[in-house]
Amino acid sequence: MSKMVTLSIDGRSVTVPENTLVVDAAKMNGIDIPVFCYHPKMKPVGMCRMCLVEIGRPMIDRATNQPVLEDNGSPKIQFSPKLETSCTTPVSEGMVVLTRNDKVEAARKEIIEFILTSHPLDCPICDKGGECPLQNLTMRFGSKEGRFLFDEKMHLAKHVPLGELIWLDRERCIQCARCVRFQHDVVDDPVLDFHNRGRSLEIMTFSEPGFGSYFSGNTTDICPVGALTTADFRFGARPWEMKPAASLCAQCPVGCNLEYTVRREAKSGGATVIKRALPRQNESVNEIWICDKGRFGYHYTQDPARLGQPLVRRDGELVPVTFEEALKIIAEKAAHQPFQILAGGKLSTEDLAALRGLAQESGGKAWLHTYMSGGFTPHYGLSADANLGALGQGDAVLVAASDLHEEAPIWWLRVKQAAERGAALIVMNPRPTRLKKYARHVIRYAYGEESLAVAAMAEENLALAGEEIRAAAETLKSARNLVIFYGSEGLGLTGSKGLEQALADLLERGGFTGRENSGLIGVWHAPNLQAGFELGLPPAEGLADLPAGGVLYLAAADPAGDDPRQAAYFSGREFVIVQDLFLTESAKLADVVLPVLAYTEREGTFVSGERRLQRYYPALAARPGLKADFALTALIAKSLGYELEGRAASLALEKLAASQPAFEGLNYLKLAEVHEQWPQVGGSDLYYGGTSYANRQGLGKHLSRAAKPEPDAAPLREGIRDVPKNALRLVPHTRLYDAGSTFAPSRLLDQRRARRQLRIHPRSAEPLGLQQGSQALIELEGAPFTAEIVLDETIPGGTALYPRSLGVPMNAPFHAVVKPVFDKSAS
Amino acid sequence: MNTILNDYADEVQAILARYPQDQKRSAVMPLIHLVQARDGYVTKQAMTEIAEIVGISVTDVASVVGFYTLYHEEKGGRYHLQVCTDLPCALRGADEFLAKLCENIGIKVGETTPDGVITIEEVTCLAGCHHAPMFQVQGDGAITYHENQSVDSALEIIAELRRKAAAQEAE
Repeated sequence: MSKMVTLSIDGRSVTVPENTLVVDAAKMNGIDIPVFCYHPKMKPVGMCRMCLVEIGRPMIDRATNQPVLEDNGSPKIQFSPKLETSCTTPVSEGMVVLTRNDKVEAARKEIIEFILTSHPLDCPICDKGGECPLQNLTMRFGSKEGRFLFDEKMHLAKHVPLGELIWLDRERCIQCARCVRFQHDVVDDPVLDFHNRGRSLEIMTFSEPGFGSYFSGNTTDICPVGALTTADFRFGARPWEMKPAASLCAQCPVGCNLEYTVRREAKSGGATVIKRALPRQNESVNEIWICDKGRFGYHYTQDPARLGQPLVRRDGELVPVTFEEALKIIAEKAAHQPFQILAGGKLSTEDLAALRGLAQESGGKAWLHTYMSGGFTPHYGLSADANLGALGQGDAVLVAASDLHEEAPIWWLRVKQAAERGAALIVMNPRPTRLKKYARHVIRYAYGEESLAVAAMAEENLALAGEEIRAAAETLKSARNLVIFYGSEGLGLTGSKGLEQALADLLERGGFTGRENSGLIGVWHAPNLQAGFELGLPPAEGLADLPAGGVLYLAAADPAGDDPRQAAYFSGREFVIVQDLFLTESAKLADVVLPVLAYTEREGTFVSGERRLQRYYPALAARPGLKADFALTALIAKSLGYELEGRAASLALEKLAASQPAFEGLNYLKLAEVHEQWPQVGGSDLYYGGTSYANRQGLGKHLSRAAKPEPDAAPLREGIRDVPKNALRLVPHTRLYDAGSTFAPSRLLDQRRARRQLRIHPRSAEPLGLQQGSQALIELEGAPFTAEIVLDETIPGGTALYPRSLGVPMNAPFHAVVKPVFDKSAS
Repeated sequence: MNTILNDYADEVQAILARYPQDQKRSAVMPLIHLVQARDGYVTKQAMTEIAEIVGISVTDVASVVGFYTLYHEEKGGRYHLQVCTDLPCALRGADEFLAKLCENIGIKVGETTPDGVITIEEVTCLAGCHHAPMFQVQGDGAITYHENQSVDSALEIIAELRRKAAAQEAE
């Protein structure tokens, strides 16, 4: 507990922790001091001078070192001759702060006038108009007229692309450096900076591609004027025309809280559409940030290719029918058949519970479509009041087999910040990743040896382990908490299971299980895989694991799209139902295809990788005729004579909470609870934190710890089967901007989208005749494919890295012969 | 390929040796001087190479180049004649001096003479206020100060610079 300091602000006595800045102390006590350059998430710089206040301090007699007293016995206050910036001044005992007198108001008026010397008065066409601090503060404190000459205003470029995502209007920029500081200090992508100085100062980027950062969109939130705008939204709508709706990001398992702002517009044929995604504050999850994938990734939900009507197979062709007809056919064909269900991690918790219910009722089984294993996370994961934001000195974070910056950027940021606060970061990966810079220990292992490396750290006998592993084990001994992230780099399901169990063992042996801020976090490839594991659904990489016969029911899963060879598993089925947003490759093979609502058109819950159960609300009205996945599954069940909860998502969750111990006591009302968060953002205040929304719709709740699982006795290392002669070991990794079906429709990111590339060490490439930038043929049995060669000295010898969700029909390591694709004209 | 490391292997090492290992970014300014002496100005390629040597982003290098008037991002004349016109110098007639000097050699501030020898620039304080009008000449990797100037004396210096450039061309 830090020392408290008592001071007076505008005549009110307030007590705050020492080192608090005056501007924050005022805000904590409900007093707004206007700011432009100050941001509560960044160090102060005192550049804009908007926060000037009058500050007095108790006078000390230099001879006696005693406070000088007034006649009435109160300490005599000496005021500084000049106003001081409240954003750079920490509080001190007995300080007297005046924020509203004539002197301060006059200063504000002058600062505004000064800032407006060359600021264009284009509020009527400015995207920020209506939610702009400069506009608001000018209305509040500015003078009616400026004394500067209108004709001498600087005229600068108004449409400067800082890359294709973010645009800069140089005239509007007031040089507060919030964007520059955010990129340097918060996310460590120093790709924005000032150029020149004085009147010629301007923001520029020299990165390739321009403004190359996964967090670039956040600068448009914290920009206090309309200088930075996203290409996605600029000139899209006025703030007051849009309605906000609380939601969650569905691109990764972090569970960032979002606000979609929607508008009914002629441009979209009179439909209500999502215009933009903004962060919604949740200090335990995403603070007030989101990554660009989350910000620009929602387009798939309103893609024209979405299915609007059920399809059934008649004479070999899929033809549109009504829901009644489709359900009738299902009732006929699927009666008394066991349902073998493959469910995707993009479904809501309620959807997964309904699918599990249908499988149980029909005597079949529901599987979770994933190449990652997570059966141990319900017991070893986070629970209660865990918060990555509280990790610091004395705690440890281990990141294994994951390039967090590519897989879950906000977790990368949270881990980086934990390391900066003093937490010991251990990074285990076969090649360097961006987290290396903040790591205390870096452990290298060969692909396929991940669980051995972890086991070496967990074993008491470290004699055989390398120096780094021994040092890391030493660090863990004294750690108060241990949070472990594990990803899927270089791993398929088998390897993932091995790694997961080894890490659970590490937690167990270190005595970390049950500690408040310790646990295992899976860096899943979908937003709600965690719920699947909580429900005990076994993982399945594809259809090979599912028993033959019966009804095959796929929901938000497209195995045939991931790997064309999976199509073979469709043929032996009595009946195949596919439920999806799009006509996927798997849907094309189905007997019945059922369209569903996108998550933005319905309500539901996701369980984040941190085991936080969070609600999302409908941003748009339900498309006529369509239903949410769980309601549709309940209808199917009903047509077969089974009873499932399909009336409302809240009822479905209540039913689940009654039977699943980890969900006990949770319901939609609990999930909607909020409490005050610091810093305060999103209000109409002058203490401006950005256009991030305040959280009024729920911070979510952690699931409670589930029972301890039984360890697997099966071999847990990735099997090496039939290695062809001269084959390379190809291992998967994840790139943020992939071509998955729920991200590809965001065309804005096409230029930055990862390509199908094979990363390989020059020494491994040379004997195979593979050259930088050339095309290679990978002879994968049954599904050969080509990829561009990228020479990369960080890749271990004998292996090559391929990206997931970019057209390679594999998600696990495999061996294959790789050879150049020769130009025919050359031979 | 990093041409700076290639051309100035020893110089780069000597510069880096002046700063602690974890403060390599301190070397950014001497390195910019080094490359500017070679090329006459700082190309984007050179900024990229410097960024690589000191381990900061190319944007940060560009920001340093952009901040200081001694660094040039565009190919100017062989010699940059930089006149201070800040308030104390202006009180001693520096702005008038600059205007007349420009008139005499027939170019505007920021421009380069047709023979490519002289670029005239207006800069902020050179710490020679009491000897204004004054300017500095930057070129051939060196900087020379010229204080208490008149238009005539400045024209003489320009003539001298032109002779020097011609002599070097002839070699």
